[in-house]
Amino acid sequence: MQPYELSLTAAADEIRERRLSPVELTDSVLQRVAQAEPHLHAYVTIVAEHARRAAREAAHDIAAGRYRGPLHGIPMGLKDLIDVAGTATSAGSRVRADHHAPADSTVAARLREAGAVLVGKTHTHEFAYGLTTPQTHNAWDRTRVAGGSSGGSAVAVASGMATFALGTDTGGSIRVPTALNGVVGLKPTYGLVPRHGVTSLSWSLDHVGPITRTVEDAGVVLNALAGHDPRDPASLATPVADYRPIAGTDLTGLRVGVPRTYYFDHIDPEIEAAVRRAIDRLQALGARLVDVETPMTRYIQATQWGLMVPEATAYHQGTLRTVPELYQDDVRILLEAGELMPAGDYLRAQRSRTLMRQEWARMLQEVDVIAAPTVPATAVEADRSTITWADGTVEDVSDAYVRLSSPANITGVPSLSLPVGHDAAGLPIGMQLLGRPLGESVLLRVGHAYEQTQPARDLAHAA
Amino acid sequence: MSAAELTASEAARWAALAGLPLPADRHASVAAVAHHIHAVVAVLRELDFGDTPPALAYRAGEEKYDAAV
Repeated sequence: MQPYELSLTAAADEIRERRLSPVELTDSVLQRVAQAEPHLHAYVTIVAEHARRAAREAAHDIAAGRYRGPLHGIPMGLKDLIDVAGTATSAGSRVRADHHAPADSTVAARLREAGAVLVGKTHTHEFAYGLTTPQTHNAWDRTRVAGGSSGGSAVAVASGMATFALGTDTGGSIRVPTALNGVVGLKPTYGLVPRHGVTSLSWSLDHVGPITRTVEDAGVVLNALAGHDPRDPASLATPVADYRPIAGTDLTGLRVGVPRTYYFDHIDPEIEAAVRRAIDRLQALGARLVDVETPMTRYIQATQWGLMVPEATAYHQGTLRTVPELYQDDVRILLEAGELMPAGDYLRAQRSRTLMRQEWARMLQEVDVIAAPTVPATAVEADRSTITWADGTVEDVSDAYVRLSSPANITGVPSLSLPVGHDAAGLPIGMQLLGRPLGESVLLRVGHAYEQTQPARDLAHAA
Repeated sequence: MSAAELTASEAARWAALAGLPLPADRHASVAAVAHHIHAVVAVLRELDFGDTPPALAYRAGEEKYDAAV
Protein backbone atom coordinates (compact mmCIF):
# COMPACT_ATOMS: atom_id res chain seq x y z
CA MET A 1 0.00 0.00 0.00
CA GLN A 2 1.30 3.46 -0.93
CA PRO A 3 1.01 6.32 1.58
CA TYR A 4 -1.50 8.17 -0.63
CA GLU A 5 -3.88 5.22 -0.23
CA LEU A 6 -4.04 5.58 3.57
CA SER A 7 -7.10 6.99 5.26
CA LEU A 8 -6.53 10.12 7.32
CA THR A 9 -6.74 8.19 10.58
CA ALA A 10 -4.34 5.49 9.36
CA ALA A 11 -1.87 8.08 8.05
CA ALA A 12 -2.09 10.06 11.30
CA ASP A 13 -1.35 6.91 13.32
CA GLU A 14 1.70 6.22 11.16
CA ILE A 15 2.94 9.79 11.53
CA ARG A 16 2.36 9.86 15.28
CA GLU A 17 4.29 6.62 15.69
CA ARG A 18 7.10 8.04 13.47
CA ARG A 19 6.69 5.20 10.96
CA LEU A 20 5.74 7.67 8.21
CA SER A 21 6.98 11.18 7.67
CA PRO A 22 4.69 13.99 6.45
CA VAL A 23 7.27 14.47 3.69
CA GLU A 24 6.86 10.88 2.47
CA LEU A 25 3.08 11.16 2.65
CA THR A 26 2.95 14.48 0.82
CA ASP A 27 5.39 13.28 -1.86
CA SER A 28 3.26 10.20 -2.37
CA VAL A 29 0.07 12.27 -2.73
CA LEU A 30 1.82 14.67 -5.13
CA GLN A 31 3.01 11.73 -7.22
CA ARG A 32 -0.54 10.47 -7.34
CA VAL A 33 -1.68 13.95 -8.37
CA ALA A 34 0.88 13.95 -11.21
CA GLN A 35 -0.49 10.61 -12.40
CA ALA A 36 -4.26 11.10 -11.97
CA GLU A 37 -4.93 14.82 -12.28
CA PRO A 38 -4.45 15.00 -16.08
CA HIS A 39 -7.32 12.50 -16.39
CA LEU A 40 -9.66 13.71 -13.64
CA HIS A 41 -9.18 17.51 -13.32
CA ALA A 42 -10.00 17.73 -9.63
CA TYR A 43 -7.77 20.74 -8.95
CA VAL A 44 -7.90 24.29 -10.22
CA THR A 45 -4.59 25.12 -8.48
CA ILE A 46 -1.89 22.81 -7.15
CA VAL A 47 0.63 24.29 -4.72
CA ALA A 48 3.20 21.50 -4.79
CA GLU A 49 6.16 23.55 -3.55
CA HIS A 50 4.13 25.03 -0.73
CA ALA A 51 2.96 21.52 0.19
CA ARG A 52 6.51 20.13 0.26
CA ARG A 53 7.68 23.04 2.41
CA ALA A 54 4.75 22.67 4.82
CA ALA A 55 5.39 18.92 5.02
CA ARG A 56 9.07 19.52 5.87
CA GLU A 57 8.03 21.96 8.61
CA ALA A 58 5.55 19.44 9.97
CA ALA A 59 8.21 16.73 9.98
CA HIS A 60 10.61 19.07 11.76
CA ASP A 61 8.04 20.05 14.40
CA ILE A 62 7.00 16.45 15.04
CA ALA A 63 10.64 15.36 15.35
CA ALA A 64 11.12 18.16 17.87
CA GLY A 65 8.20 16.89 19.96
CA ARG A 66 5.68 19.50 18.81
CA TYR A 67 3.03 17.11 17.50
CA ARG A 68 -0.22 19.02 17.01
CA GLY A 69 -2.63 16.16 16.55
CA PRO A 70 -4.09 13.91 13.88
CA LEU A 71 -4.14 16.50 11.08
CA HIS A 72 -0.46 17.36 11.50
CA GLY A 73 1.29 16.69 8.20
CA ILE A 74 -1.84 15.46 6.40
CA PRO A 75 -2.32 16.59 2.75
CA MET A 76 -5.65 18.21 1.96
CA GLY A 77 -7.60 19.91 -0.81
CA LEU A 78 -9.84 22.92 -0.22
CA LYS A 79 -12.79 23.73 -2.43
CA ASP A 80 -12.04 26.88 -4.36
CA LEU A 81 -14.72 28.85 -2.54
CA ILE A 82 -12.63 28.81 0.63
CA ASP A 83 -10.20 31.68 1.14
CA VAL A 84 -6.55 30.87 1.72
CA ALA A 85 -4.40 33.92 2.40
CA GLY A 86 -2.38 35.03 -0.60
CA THR A 87 -4.14 32.82 -3.15
CA ALA A 88 -7.04 33.35 -5.52
CA THR A 89 -10.50 32.04 -4.64
CA SER A 90 -11.67 31.56 -8.21
CA ALA A 91 -15.06 30.03 -7.31
CA GLY A 92 -14.87 28.29 -10.67
CA SER A 93 -15.62 31.57 -12.39
CA ARG A 94 -14.00 34.04 -14.79
CA VAL A 95 -15.68 36.70 -12.63
CA ARG A 96 -12.97 35.99 -10.04
CA ALA A 97 -10.03 36.01 -12.47
CA ASP A 98 -8.14 38.67 -10.50
CA HIS A 99 -9.19 37.56 -7.03
CA HIS A 100 -6.72 37.61 -4.18
CA ALA A 101 -7.73 36.45 -0.69
CA PRO A 102 -6.16 38.78 1.86
CA ALA A 103 -6.60 36.38 4.78
CA ASP A 104 -7.46 32.80 5.62
CA SER A 105 -11.06 31.80 6.04
CA THR A 106 -11.85 30.54 9.53
CA VAL A 107 -11.74 26.91 8.40
CA ALA A 108 -8.46 27.33 6.48
CA ALA A 109 -6.91 29.03 9.53
CA ARG A 110 -8.08 26.25 11.83
CA LEU A 111 -6.70 23.54 9.54
CA ARG A 112 -3.41 25.43 9.17
CA GLU A 113 -3.21 25.66 12.96
CA ALA A 114 -3.86 21.90 13.18
CA GLY A 115 -0.90 21.32 10.87
CA ALA A 116 -2.70 20.14 7.72
CA VAL A 117 -0.79 20.54 4.44
CA LEU A 118 -2.56 22.27 1.56
CA VAL A 119 -2.09 20.45 -1.77
CA GLY A 120 -4.36 22.71 -3.80
CA LYS A 121 -7.73 24.30 -4.43
CA THR A 122 -10.36 22.01 -5.93
CA HIS A 123 -12.86 22.65 -8.69
CA THR A 124 -16.38 23.80 -7.90
CA HIS A 125 -19.40 24.25 -10.10
CA GLU A 126 -19.32 28.00 -10.80
CA PHE A 127 -20.05 29.79 -7.51
CA ALA A 128 -21.41 26.44 -6.24
CA TYR A 129 -24.59 27.05 -8.26
CA GLY A 130 -24.95 23.58 -9.81
CA LEU A 131 -24.80 19.87 -9.13
CA THR A 132 -22.31 18.53 -11.68
CA THR A 133 -18.91 20.37 -11.66
CA PRO A 134 -18.39 20.07 -15.43
CA GLN A 135 -14.62 20.75 -15.21
CA THR A 136 -14.05 17.49 -13.28
CA HIS A 137 -14.53 13.82 -14.19
CA ASN A 138 -15.98 11.12 -11.97
CA ALA A 139 -13.25 9.20 -10.16
CA TRP A 140 -14.79 5.82 -11.10
CA ASP A 141 -15.74 6.51 -14.73
CA ARG A 142 -14.34 9.50 -16.54
CA THR A 143 -17.30 9.68 -18.91
CA ARG A 144 -19.62 10.43 -15.99
CA VAL A 145 -20.29 13.49 -13.86
CA ALA A 146 -18.31 14.18 -10.73
CA GLY A 147 -21.37 15.60 -9.04
CA GLY A 148 -21.30 18.95 -7.40
CA SER A 149 -20.80 21.47 -6.48
CA SER A 150 -17.84 20.15 -4.45
CA GLY A 151 -16.90 17.81 -7.31
CA GLY A 152 -13.17 18.51 -7.25
CA SER A 153 -12.88 17.80 -3.52
CA ALA A 154 -14.81 14.52 -3.75
CA VAL A 155 -12.81 13.29 -6.76
CA ALA A 156 -9.49 14.30 -5.15
CA VAL A 157 -10.28 12.28 -2.01
CA ALA A 158 -11.76 9.33 -3.93
CA SER A 159 -8.73 9.02 -6.21
CA GLY A 160 -5.96 9.50 -3.62
CA MET A 161 -5.05 13.04 -4.69
CA ALA A 162 -5.85 14.36 -1.19
CA THR A 163 -6.10 12.53 2.12
CA PHE A 164 -9.10 14.71 2.98
CA ALA A 165 -10.80 17.81 1.64
CA LEU A 166 -13.41 20.42 2.47
CA GLY A 167 -16.57 21.10 0.56
CA THR A 168 -19.56 23.36 0.91
CA ASP A 169 -23.21 22.30 0.85
CA THR A 170 -26.21 24.52 0.07
CA GLY A 171 -28.61 21.88 -1.26
CA GLY A 172 -26.39 18.80 -1.26
CA SER A 173 -23.06 19.97 -2.63
CA ILE A 174 -20.96 17.92 -0.20
CA ARG A 175 -23.17 14.85 -0.12
CA VAL A 176 -24.01 14.56 -3.82
CA PRO A 177 -20.42 14.37 -5.13
CA THR A 178 -19.29 12.19 -2.22
CA ALA A 179 -22.11 9.73 -2.95
CA LEU A 180 -21.26 9.72 -6.67
CA ASN A 181 -17.55 9.13 -6.01
CA GLY A 182 -17.74 6.63 -3.15
CA VAL A 183 -16.39 8.71 -0.27
CA VAL A 184 -17.76 10.16 2.97
CA GLY A 185 -19.25 13.64 3.24
CA LEU A 186 -20.64 15.43 6.27
CA LYS A 187 -22.93 18.43 6.13
CA PRO A 188 -22.85 19.56 9.75
CA THR A 189 -25.64 21.31 11.64
CA TYR A 190 -26.25 24.82 10.32
CA GLY A 191 -23.94 27.13 12.23
CA LEU A 192 -21.61 24.47 13.68
CA VAL A 193 -18.75 25.22 11.27
CA PRO A 194 -18.08 28.94 10.65
CA ARG A 195 -18.31 30.20 7.09
CA HIS A 196 -16.29 33.38 7.48
CA GLY A 197 -14.08 33.71 4.40
CA VAL A 198 -16.08 31.20 2.36
CA THR A 199 -17.84 32.49 -0.76
CA SER A 200 -21.58 32.30 -0.24
CA LEU A 201 -24.17 30.82 -2.53
CA SER A 202 -27.13 31.26 -0.20
CA TRP A 203 -26.48 32.54 3.31
CA SER A 204 -29.37 30.77 5.00
CA LEU A 205 -28.56 27.39 3.42
CA ASP A 206 -24.74 27.32 3.20
CA HIS A 207 -22.62 24.88 5.20
CA VAL A 208 -18.93 23.88 5.20
CA GLY A 209 -17.89 20.33 5.99
CA PRO A 210 -15.38 17.51 5.56
CA ILE A 211 -14.95 15.06 2.68
CA THR A 212 -13.01 11.97 3.71
CA ARG A 213 -12.41 8.27 2.98
CA THR A 214 -13.96 7.04 6.22
CA VAL A 215 -16.56 8.16 8.75
CA GLU A 216 -13.93 8.21 11.47
CA ASP A 217 -11.86 10.60 9.35
CA ALA A 218 -14.86 12.94 9.06
CA GLY A 219 -15.09 13.11 12.85
CA VAL A 220 -11.38 13.91 13.12
CA VAL A 221 -11.66 16.79 10.62
CA LEU A 222 -14.85 18.09 12.25
CA ASN A 223 -12.94 18.36 15.53
CA ALA A 224 -10.69 20.94 13.89
CA LEU A 225 -13.50 22.84 12.14
CA ALA A 226 -16.27 23.18 14.72
CA GLY A 227 -16.49 26.08 17.12
CA HIS A 228 -17.92 29.54 17.39
CA ASP A 229 -16.71 32.45 15.27
CA PRO A 230 -18.64 35.71 15.70
CA ARG A 231 -17.70 36.77 12.18
CA ASP A 232 -20.29 34.30 10.86
CA PRO A 233 -23.67 35.55 12.09
CA ALA A 234 -25.09 32.01 11.98
CA SER A 235 -22.23 30.56 14.03
CA LEU A 236 -23.37 28.68 17.11
CA ALA A 237 -21.65 28.98 20.47
CA THR A 238 -21.53 25.24 21.00
CA PRO A 239 -19.55 23.52 23.73
CA VAL A 240 -16.33 21.82 22.65
CA ALA A 241 -17.00 18.22 21.68
CA ASP A 242 -14.92 15.27 20.50
CA TYR A 243 -16.52 14.03 17.28
CA ARG A 244 -14.15 11.12 16.69
CA PRO A 245 -16.48 8.12 16.92
CA ILE A 246 -15.94 5.53 19.59
CA ALA A 247 -14.93 2.04 18.53
CA GLY A 248 -17.55 -0.65 18.73
CA THR A 249 -20.48 -1.68 16.63
CA ASP A 250 -23.22 -2.25 19.19
CA LEU A 251 -26.24 -0.15 18.23
CA THR A 252 -28.63 -1.72 20.73
CA GLY A 253 -31.45 0.63 21.56
CA LEU A 254 -30.79 3.04 18.71
CA ARG A 255 -33.94 3.98 16.79
CA VAL A 256 -33.34 4.27 13.04
CA GLY A 257 -36.08 6.02 11.11
CA VAL A 258 -36.82 4.57 7.68
CA PRO A 259 -38.85 7.01 5.56
CA ARG A 260 -42.09 5.58 4.21
CA THR A 261 -42.39 8.48 1.81
CA TYR A 262 -40.26 10.67 -0.44
CA TYR A 263 -36.75 9.22 0.00
CA PHE A 264 -37.48 5.98 -1.83
CA ASP A 265 -39.70 7.49 -4.53
CA HIS A 266 -38.31 7.82 -8.07
CA ILE A 267 -35.08 6.07 -7.23
CA ASP A 268 -32.81 3.61 -9.03
CA PRO A 269 -33.78 0.09 -7.83
CA GLU A 270 -30.11 -0.80 -7.29
CA ILE A 271 -29.74 2.19 -4.95
CA GLU A 272 -32.86 1.25 -3.03
CA ALA A 273 -31.62 -2.32 -2.65
CA ALA A 274 -28.16 -1.24 -1.45
CA VAL A 275 -29.52 1.29 1.05
CA ARG A 276 -32.07 -1.17 2.44
CA ARG A 277 -29.28 -3.75 2.82
CA ALA A 278 -27.26 -1.18 4.78
CA ILE A 279 -30.30 -0.40 6.95
CA ASP A 280 -30.72 -4.13 7.59
CA ARG A 281 -27.08 -4.18 8.67
CA LEU A 282 -27.82 -1.44 11.22
CA GLN A 283 -30.69 -3.56 12.48
CA ALA A 284 -28.36 -6.56 12.75
CA LEU A 285 -26.10 -4.40 14.93
CA GLY A 286 -28.95 -3.88 17.38
CA ALA A 287 -30.80 -0.85 16.00
CA ARG A 288 -34.59 -0.78 16.00
CA LEU A 289 -36.15 0.26 12.70
CA VAL A 290 -39.04 2.71 12.88
CA ASP A 291 -41.16 3.81 9.93
CA VAL A 292 -41.34 7.57 9.64
CA GLU A 293 -43.38 9.89 7.48
CA THR A 294 -41.36 12.62 5.78
CA PRO A 295 -43.19 15.89 6.47
CA MET A 296 -44.24 18.53 3.94
CA THR A 297 -42.69 16.75 0.97
CA ARG A 298 -44.79 18.74 -1.49
CA TYR A 299 -43.04 21.94 -0.36
CA ILE A 300 -39.39 20.86 -0.22
CA GLN A 301 -38.29 21.98 -3.68
CA ALA A 302 -40.38 25.16 -3.48
CA THR A 303 -38.83 26.09 -0.15
CA GLN A 304 -35.29 25.33 -1.30
CA TRP A 305 -35.70 27.40 -4.47
CA GLY A 306 -37.61 30.16 -2.69
CA LEU A 307 -34.65 30.61 -0.33
CA MET A 308 -31.71 29.92 -2.63
CA VAL A 309 -32.68 31.73 -5.82
CA PRO A 310 -33.13 35.24 -4.40
CA GLU A 311 -30.24 34.90 -1.93
CA ALA A 312 -27.84 33.84 -4.71
CA THR A 313 -29.00 36.66 -6.92
CA ALA A 314 -28.52 39.14 -4.08
CA TYR A 315 -24.93 37.95 -3.51
CA HIS A 316 -24.09 38.58 -7.18
CA GLN A 317 -25.94 41.90 -7.43
CA GLY A 318 -22.83 43.90 -8.32
CA THR A 319 -21.05 41.68 -10.83
CA LEU A 320 -24.29 40.62 -12.52
CA ARG A 321 -24.59 44.26 -13.58
CA THR A 322 -20.96 45.02 -14.36
CA VAL A 323 -19.58 41.79 -15.92
CA PRO A 324 -22.56 39.49 -16.68
CA GLU A 325 -20.81 38.07 -19.74
CA LEU A 326 -18.15 36.47 -17.52
CA TYR A 327 -20.63 34.02 -15.94
CA GLN A 328 -21.33 30.62 -17.48
CA ASP A 329 -24.70 30.54 -19.24
CA ASP A 330 -26.38 28.16 -16.75
CA VAL A 331 -25.46 30.30 -13.74
CA ARG A 332 -26.02 33.69 -15.36
CA ILE A 333 -29.60 32.96 -16.33
CA LEU A 334 -30.50 31.68 -12.86
CA LEU A 335 -29.04 34.82 -11.32
CA GLU A 336 -30.92 37.04 -13.77
CA ALA A 337 -34.22 35.22 -13.33
CA GLY A 338 -33.77 35.52 -9.57
CA GLU A 339 -34.17 39.27 -9.91
CA LEU A 340 -37.79 38.63 -10.89
CA MET A 341 -38.81 36.79 -7.72
CA PRO A 342 -41.10 38.86 -5.49
CA ALA A 343 -40.19 39.34 -1.83
CA GLY A 344 -43.48 37.67 -0.92
CA ASP A 345 -42.25 34.38 -2.38
CA TYR A 346 -39.03 34.61 -0.40
CA LEU A 347 -40.94 35.26 2.82
CA ARG A 348 -43.28 32.36 2.13
CA ALA A 349 -40.22 30.14 1.76
CA GLN A 350 -38.87 31.40 5.08
CA ARG A 351 -42.20 30.76 6.77
CA SER A 352 -42.41 27.32 5.17
CA ARG A 353 -38.94 26.66 6.56
CA THR A 354 -40.23 27.48 10.06
CA LEU A 355 -43.02 24.93 9.63
CA MET A 356 -40.67 22.34 8.16
CA ARG A 357 -38.19 22.69 11.01
CA GLN A 358 -41.00 22.18 13.51
CA GLU A 359 -42.24 19.08 11.68
CA TRP A 360 -38.72 17.63 11.41
CA ALA A 361 -38.13 18.27 15.11
CA ARG A 362 -41.29 16.28 15.84
CA MET A 363 -40.16 13.44 13.58
CA LEU A 364 -36.72 13.40 15.19
CA GLN A 365 -38.29 12.95 18.63
CA GLU A 366 -39.45 9.50 17.49
CA VAL A 367 -36.07 8.33 16.19
CA ASP A 368 -32.36 8.93 16.79
CA VAL A 369 -31.31 8.95 13.15
CA ILE A 370 -32.99 8.68 9.78
CA ALA A 371 -31.40 6.49 7.10
CA ALA A 372 -32.10 7.20 3.44
CA PRO A 373 -30.46 7.26 0.03
CA THR A 374 -28.23 10.31 -0.58
CA VAL A 375 -29.09 10.61 -4.28
CA PRO A 376 -31.69 8.75 -6.35
CA ALA A 377 -29.29 7.91 -9.20
CA THR A 378 -25.61 7.03 -9.51
CA ALA A 379 -23.31 9.20 -11.64
CA VAL A 380 -24.90 9.87 -15.03
CA GLU A 381 -23.06 10.33 -18.33
CA ALA A 382 -21.56 13.81 -18.52
CA ASP A 383 -23.73 14.88 -21.45
CA ARG A 384 -27.01 13.69 -19.99
CA SER A 385 -29.47 16.35 -18.81
CA THR A 386 -32.50 14.29 -17.70
CA ILE A 387 -33.38 11.02 -15.98
CA THR A 388 -36.46 9.03 -16.98
CA TRP A 389 -38.00 7.04 -14.13
CA ALA A 390 -39.83 3.72 -14.43
CA ASP A 391 -43.25 5.43 -14.46
CA GLY A 392 -42.19 7.61 -17.40
CA THR A 393 -41.57 10.73 -15.32
CA VAL A 394 -38.69 12.81 -16.69
CA GLU A 395 -36.58 14.71 -14.17
CA ASP A 396 -33.75 17.19 -14.69
CA VAL A 397 -30.46 15.63 -13.50
CA SER A 398 -29.71 18.48 -11.11
CA ASP A 399 -33.24 18.39 -9.67
CA ALA A 400 -32.84 14.65 -9.08
CA TYR A 401 -29.45 14.95 -7.41
CA VAL A 402 -30.56 17.69 -5.02
CA ARG A 403 -33.98 16.20 -4.23
CA LEU A 404 -33.02 13.99 -1.28
CA SER A 405 -30.31 16.19 0.19
CA SER A 406 -32.00 19.62 0.34
CA PRO A 407 -34.29 18.88 3.33
CA ALA A 408 -31.22 18.94 5.59
CA ASN A 409 -30.24 22.36 4.24
CA ILE A 410 -33.71 23.79 4.77
CA THR A 411 -34.01 22.44 8.30
CA GLY A 412 -30.33 22.75 9.26
CA VAL A 413 -30.11 19.18 10.57
CA PRO A 414 -26.81 17.31 10.11
CA SER A 415 -26.47 14.75 7.34
CA LEU A 416 -23.67 12.24 6.82
CA SER A 417 -23.30 10.47 3.48
CA LEU A 418 -21.33 7.24 3.32
CA PRO A 419 -20.75 4.59 0.65
CA VAL A 420 -22.91 1.45 0.85
CA GLY A 421 -21.93 -0.38 -2.33
CA HIS A 422 -21.81 -0.11 -6.10
CA ASP A 423 -24.31 -0.62 -8.91
CA ALA A 424 -23.87 -3.16 -11.69
CA ALA A 425 -21.81 -0.63 -13.66
CA GLY A 426 -19.40 -0.31 -10.73
CA LEU A 427 -20.56 3.17 -9.73
CA PRO A 428 -20.75 4.05 -6.02
CA ILE A 429 -23.99 4.25 -4.04
CA GLY A 430 -24.40 6.55 -1.03
CA MET A 431 -26.62 6.41 2.04
CA GLN A 432 -27.25 9.44 4.23
CA LEU A 433 -27.84 9.46 7.95
CA LEU A 434 -29.78 12.46 9.20
CA GLY A 435 -29.99 13.44 12.84
CA ARG A 436 -31.09 16.04 15.33
CA PRO A 437 -29.47 19.46 15.32
CA LEU A 438 -25.98 19.09 16.84
CA GLY A 439 -26.40 15.31 16.70
CA GLU A 440 -23.21 14.79 14.67
CA SER A 441 -21.77 12.40 17.24
CA VAL A 442 -24.72 10.03 16.81
CA LEU A 443 -24.44 10.07 13.01
CA LEU A 444 -20.70 9.45 13.16
CA ARG A 445 -21.13 6.63 15.67
CA VAL A 446 -23.71 4.89 13.51
CA GLY A 447 -21.76 5.42 10.30
CA HIS A 448 -18.55 4.21 11.91
CA ALA A 449 -20.30 1.12 13.28
CA TYR A 450 -21.57 0.30 9.79
CA GLU A 451 -18.14 0.83 8.23
CA GLN A 452 -16.47 -1.45 10.75
CA THR A 453 -18.64 -4.32 9.53
CA GLN A 454 -17.68 -3.78 5.89
CA PRO A 455 -14.49 -4.62 3.99
CA ALA A 456 -12.09 -1.69 3.57
CA ARG A 457 -12.89 0.26 0.43
CA ASP A 458 -10.45 0.62 -2.46
CA LEU A 459 -9.59 3.95 -3.99
CA ALA A 460 -11.35 4.88 -7.21
CA HIS A 461 -9.60 3.53 -10.28
CA ALA A 462 -10.62 5.65 -13.28
CA ALA A 463 -7.14 7.22 -13.43
CA MET B 1 -46.53 39.91 -10.88
CA SER B 2 -47.97 36.80 -12.41
CA ALA B 3 -45.27 34.77 -14.11
CA ALA B 4 -48.03 32.62 -15.60
CA GLU B 5 -48.41 35.29 -18.25
CA LEU B 6 -44.81 36.48 -18.14
CA THR B 7 -43.76 37.55 -21.62
CA ALA B 8 -40.30 38.43 -22.81
CA SER B 9 -41.07 42.13 -22.66
CA GLU B 10 -42.57 41.83 -19.17
CA ALA B 11 -39.46 40.00 -17.97
CA ALA B 12 -37.35 42.82 -19.40
CA ARG B 13 -39.50 45.41 -17.65
CA TRP B 14 -39.42 43.67 -14.28
CA ALA B 15 -35.68 43.18 -14.52
CA ALA B 16 -35.25 46.85 -15.37
CA LEU B 17 -37.40 47.77 -12.36
CA ALA B 18 -35.00 45.65 -10.27
CA GLY B 19 -32.13 47.67 -11.70
CA LEU B 20 -30.93 45.00 -14.13
CA PRO B 21 -31.28 46.10 -17.74
CA LEU B 22 -31.28 42.93 -19.86
CA PRO B 23 -29.97 42.80 -23.44
CA ALA B 24 -32.81 42.16 -25.89
CA ASP B 25 -31.49 38.75 -26.84
CA ARG B 26 -31.94 37.55 -23.25
CA HIS B 27 -35.54 38.64 -22.64
CA ALA B 28 -37.21 35.43 -23.81
CA SER B 29 -34.80 33.00 -22.10
CA VAL B 30 -34.91 34.88 -18.78
CA ALA B 31 -38.71 34.96 -18.97
CA ALA B 32 -38.78 31.20 -19.48
CA VAL B 33 -36.50 30.47 -16.52
CA ALA B 34 -38.32 32.97 -14.30
CA HIS B 35 -41.60 31.30 -15.23
CA HIS B 36 -40.21 27.88 -14.29
CA ILE B 37 -38.94 29.16 -10.95
CA HIS B 38 -42.28 30.82 -10.30
CA ALA B 39 -44.13 27.58 -11.07
CA VAL B 40 -41.98 25.71 -8.53
CA VAL B 41 -42.23 28.32 -5.78
CA ALA B 42 -45.91 29.20 -6.26
CA VAL B 43 -46.95 25.97 -4.52
CA LEU B 44 -46.03 27.65 -1.21
CA ARG B 45 -49.15 29.81 -1.59
CA GLU B 46 -51.21 26.74 -0.66
CA LEU B 47 -49.84 26.75 2.89
CA ASP B 48 -51.88 28.23 5.72
CA PHE B 49 -49.18 30.01 7.69
CA GLY B 50 -51.38 31.51 10.39
CA ASP B 51 -49.05 33.39 12.72
CA THR B 52 -45.94 31.48 11.60
CA PRO B 53 -42.99 33.86 11.46
CA PRO B 54 -40.30 33.62 8.79
CA ALA B 55 -37.16 31.77 9.88
CA LEU B 56 -35.20 35.00 9.85
CA ALA B 57 -35.25 35.88 13.52
CA TYR B 58 -31.94 36.86 15.06
CA ARG B 59 -30.72 37.28 18.59
CA ALA B 60 -29.83 40.81 19.59
CA GLY B 61 -26.76 40.92 21.74
CA GLU B 62 -24.81 37.95 22.99
CA GLU B 63 -25.69 34.65 21.37
CA LYS B 64 -26.46 31.80 23.71
CA TYR B 65 -26.11 28.10 23.04
CA ASP B 66 -29.46 26.71 21.98
CA ALA B 67 -29.83 23.07 21.00
CA ALA B 68 -33.18 23.77 19.32
CA VAL B 69 -31.59 25.07 16.15
